[in-house]
Amino acid sequence: MIAAAWICLLAPLGATLVITLAGMRISGRTAGWIATASTLVSFAAAIIAFAKLLSENAEDRTHLSTAWTWLGTDQYQFGLSILLDPLSVFMMLVVSGVGSLIVAYSIGYMDGENEERRYFAYMAFFVFSMLMLVQAGNLLLLLVGWGLVGLSSYLLIGFHQERPSAIAAAKKAFIMNAVGDATMALALFLLILHTGSLDFGSLTAISTSSSLVINLVALGLLGGAVTKSAQVPLHTWLPDAMEGPTPVSALIHAATMVTAGVYLIARTHNVFELAPNILDLAAGLGAVTLLIAGLIALVQTDIKRVIAYSTMSQIGYMFVGVGVGAYSDGMYHLLTHAFFKALLFLAAGLLIHALAGEQDMRKMGGMRVLMPRTYWLFFVGGLALVGIPPFAGFFSKDPILASALAHGTFGAILWVAGVVGTFLTGLYTFRMLFMVFWGEPSAYAREHHHVGPGRWSREGPLVMFVPVVVLGVLSVVGGWIQVADFWTPVSNFLEVSAPPLVTASGTQEAISSIFAVAFGLVGIGVAWAIYGARRAEVPSAPQLQSALEHKLWFDWLYDRAFYRPSVWLARALYRWFEQPVILGSLREIAAGAKESGSLVARLQTGLLRVYALALAGGLAVLVVVFISVR
Amino acid sequence: MLGPDVSWYLSISAILFSIGVLGVLLRRSPLIVLLSLEIMLNGGNLALIAFSRQTGEGTGQVFAISVMAVAASEVVVGLGLIVAMSRRRLPLDVDRLKSLRG
Amino acid sequence: MAGNVVVWIVWFAAAFGCIASGIAVVSFRNPFYSALALIGNLGSLAVLYLLLSAEFVAAAQVLVYAGAVMVMFLFVIAYLGGEADAPFVGRHGWQTVGAIIAAAAIFVEIIVAVGESSLSHPAKIDASFGSPAEIGRLFLTDHLLAFEVTSIVLLAAAVGGVVLGHHSRRFDAGT
Repeated sequence: MIAAAWICLLAPLGATLVITLAGMRISGRTAGWIATASTLVSFAAAIIAFAKLLSENAEDRTHLSTAWTWLGTDQYQFGLSILLDPLSVFMMLVVSGVGSLIVAYSIGYMDGENEERRYFAYMAFFVFSMLMLVQAGNLLLLLVGWGLVGLSSYLLIGFHQERPSAIAAAKKAFIMNAVGDATMALALFLLILHTGSLDFGSLTAISTSSSLVINLVALGLLGGAVTKSAQVPLHTWLPDAMEGPTPVSALIHAATMVTAGVYLIARTHNVFELAPNILDLAAGLGAVTLLIAGLIALVQTDIKRVIAYSTMSQIGYMFVGVGVGAYSDGMYHLLTHAFFKALLFLAAGLLIHALAGEQDMRKMGGMRVLMPRTYWLFFVGGLALVGIPPFAGFFSKDPILASALAHGTFGAILWVAGVVGTFLTGLYTFRMLFMVFWGEPSAYAREHHHVGPGRWSREGPLVMFVPVVVLGVLSVVGGWIQVADFWTPVSNFLEVSAPPLVTASGTQEAISSIFAVAFGLVGIGVAWAIYGARRAEVPSAPQLQSALEHKLWFDWLYDRAFYRPSVWLARALYRWFEQPVILGSLREIAAGAKESGSLVARLQTGLLRVYALALAGGLAVLVVVFISVR
Repeated sequence: MLGPDVSWYLSISAILFSIGVLGVLLRRSPLIVLLSLEIMLNGGNLALIAFSRQTGEGTGQVFAISVMAVAASEVVVGLGLIVAMSRRRLPLDVDRLKSLRG
Repeated sequence: MAGNVVVWIVWFAAAFGCIASGIAVVSFRNPFYSALALIGNLGSLAVLYLLLSAEFVAAAQVLVYAGAVMVMFLFVIAYLGGEADAPFVGRHGWQTVGAIIAAAAIFVEIIVAVGESSLSHPAKIDASFGSPAEIGRLFLTDHLLAFEVTSIVLLAAAVGGVVLGHHSRRFDAGT
């Protein structure tokens, strides 16, 4: 079982190394199959570990395996260790499972790009990094995995190196994530300072320190979680990250990496429970994010950006879930979200691939006629996202709302936000669906649409189509493994690692479900009225519209507050310090050396008599020395 | 000992040496420089002989003979250089031979 | 007493001859005259050596130095002919001043160094002091190494002379 865990972690790393070292000797397709095979091996290993774990008693399900002591000093010891417990196995299954589907899809999506091998090396490396993050046995290794996924994200967002917008987006993502990494590192410093170790046990040992320290540690960890999961206020990098290829958006920025923040809070719940204000802050930020993201999604015209804001919004739900202490509910929503969000992204990818790279929804229309199978898959994903029973989202989103309701007055506010969020979710999701798929096929669509050969590959090559279908099926049935209070295998499984703080009563569950579904359906209805059947006009609120189109001025604010002063400072330092002092000093040193050299060179007159004179003078001096030092 | 003391001879030696130094430093013809060098060497020789007389040992005279042999060798080489210089049509003027200037 | 006076007179004459010929060597424009002055210098020095009971060295000085080396000099000067003329130093006045100062300094320092020690009692010598037998004995016993090394130096000089004097087509064909 431990061996299976190690294999799960190291197989994608092996694929990265193989693809990198093989270089140009293998084709892009081969690299793709190597990457896919490694993630499938990971998935198989994860299943074996899962099965073995299930065969044990619930209390014994925590295994720490240390390969060797990675950093050892007199005071601190850090091992290269992985932790195998329900929470980590859960995440391993999600990452490797959904990951293998998306990597397989990429073989078809990236076919014909001239840098496929690099892409698959990066993808395999990302899967390895994410697995390291979730399997880390101590906080140091978790931070390592955290940083490595940030690196993979940077490499993959900026994959199309020739596009300046992609490079800028990659830089933006990396720099913003560096802020989160910094707060996390500070939290870890405090932990080490006060408990002397970074094992997960130190999260409970910190309880002996002052509440200020505990709050700071929790706040630092929350900072990292908020940045990685693109919550307000550190969310502006995620929409720009859509510059990466669509499978990258699906894997990293929907299914796995952005959910790392939720995992982090669940994993380190001990210290968060010691700082309840910070937990409330997390839930509050989640609620704010889910509303803001939902609103901004209403005015987006790029299909991938709508889905990106939707991701932001759904992670807000997960944050609400873990923020009120319903860790398993939050993780369960993570699971179903991975299914239907990846489905939506990959289906959008089928669209984009068929329309030769077009992502603007206004140029699409009536795709239902041209790509019916994609339409139905998208429809299933949309329903799952809005949370309509019996699709997956329903079973995961409503327990979060119910747990919020059970959390007291603050929880009730969160509940209201969450319910309004379902209205927005319905509205923007089906706005997207109706704009793209209903109506008459636009001129652009007719012009650029390519139809594939064969019965099954009309809308895309089979290697792309099959994963989307699999995800579609999972979006339908994936929710059926846990039904509210009646049947909770998932929660039972995860509770060992993260016992929940609240339990919603049956009434609260029922109220939440009814309101959520109702508001969701109202949202769908409004969307149908405006965009589907075109019976109503978009309500005009120019100021709101403009604010939403400017993404609530967050980017503008960060630009003015951080970017421009930094650029100004950099330029000033360059002009006033670096050029005169550093470069200038180098020039001065060189000039000085030259000058002193030329001074000395004046001695070399080439005249024999001058040299003889020097000899005679030296002789005179020496004689004096010899006489006086008798 | 008849005649002046050894120190008188030594003063002659000093005078000869200084005259030789002046000649080396102030003349432009390499031939004259060589001749001045000979004067310097002879001054040294005189000092050696004088000290040999003072101590009563023959070592100084042996040394002086060696110096004479070395001086002869040096003159051979020096004159060979000068002849080679004149064969290559170089000016026999140490002030104009300054291609080592740097 | 009379021998003392004669010695003194001879000494003064030889000393005067040394110094005068030395100055003459350094001053003449014509290198031929300088070489002849040097021969006079060597002769005066030989007289001084005789006064110091160094007979063999005096003889060697006249035979080798004045006889062989200076003849070689005169040959070369005759060969070079008119090219050998060279005036005194022209420009570079600071070099003249520097040279005079350095020479004066050396002179003064030697005088000071010599004058400080007491040199009024020379050692007693016997008749074999300075004789060829004595010099030869010293060369072959106490200073054998110097003897051998000196012969090597002479050999090297001979080889060097031959090499330098070698006729090379390259040199004769032009500058």
